[in-house]
Amino acid sequence: MKHITLILAALLLSLSALAQNGKSIYQKYSDAEQVSAVYISPAMFRLIGKIPDIDTGSDKVNLSPVIRSLTGMYILNSENAAINGQLRAEAERFIQSGKYELLMEAKDSGQTMRMYTVGNDKVVNGFVMLAAEADEVTFICLDGQMPRDQFENLLASQMAD
Amino acid sequence: MKTLEEIEKLSPEELEAQAAAQGVHAPQDLQQRLRETLAARELAQTARPRPARWIPYASLAVAAAAAALVLLPSSGPKDTFDDPYLAYAEVEKAFRTISDKMNSGVELAREAGEAAEIPQNILQKIQSK
Repeated sequence: MKHITLILAALLLSLSALAQNGKSIYQKYSDAEQVSAVYISPAMFRLIGKIPDIDTGSDKVNLSPVIRSLTGMYILNSENAAINGQLRAEAERFIQSGKYELLMEAKDSGQTMRMYTVGNDKVVNGFVMLAAEADEVTFICLDGQMPRDQFENLLASQMAD
Repeated sequence: MKTLEEIEKLSPEELEAQAAAQGVHAPQDLQQRLRETLAARELAQTARPRPARWIPYASLAVAAAAAALVLLPSSGPKDTFDDPYLAYAEVEKAFRTISDKMNSGVELAREAGEAAEIPQNILQKIQSK
């Protein structure tokens, strides 16, 4: 019986560690004070994808192909000094456990910004941006099956604007 | 006294004959004691739980726990927007934020590149003199 208990405890611990993702981080911090949170579900992304003509505003950038491939978006912006460190640590743990690859890192005057992707040469299955300033932490997590070339073109075109 | 090599060379019949000639007899209750020892050993083995018995139960328990964690529906967060147009605008805003941050990174890299050119220019000036 002792063996069974030990095995179960080990299994539950390992599964709970594996279970950490953008969703769990969002659920933990989205209701905290001084935290603004945005969640867009797979159902809403499907709905957006069915809108025939999306007005992209600038007419230069077409988000539709990437949006149709997204299955979830979690945004947390915390200005709560009491939880900023914890949020950042949990996001970094999730990035490490999710085998994300560093796409870009920039550090300037105490500000750190890192972007990560997970997937392969053709498809981006996840994107995470973690930006930390002295009194603010921003966490953006995108899930989906985004064609890598379209995703990168989209970011590049937005940068060019 | 025979050596070990001599004993090994003897046939079973010769060994029996030698043993009978020695006049050594087994204790009378040897058979009874052997039976009791064997019975006690068997009893001890049946009383002790065999590791092979709990392994299937443990495997089942582990599989059930894993299945429960994976399959049980967890209540997800609620959509921030009901209107797909608003949701779309938020996605666009998020991509703009990402791009802005990327821009700042690229700008830093550009500044670093310009700074790296300074010593190179100085060296070129020195060489041209």
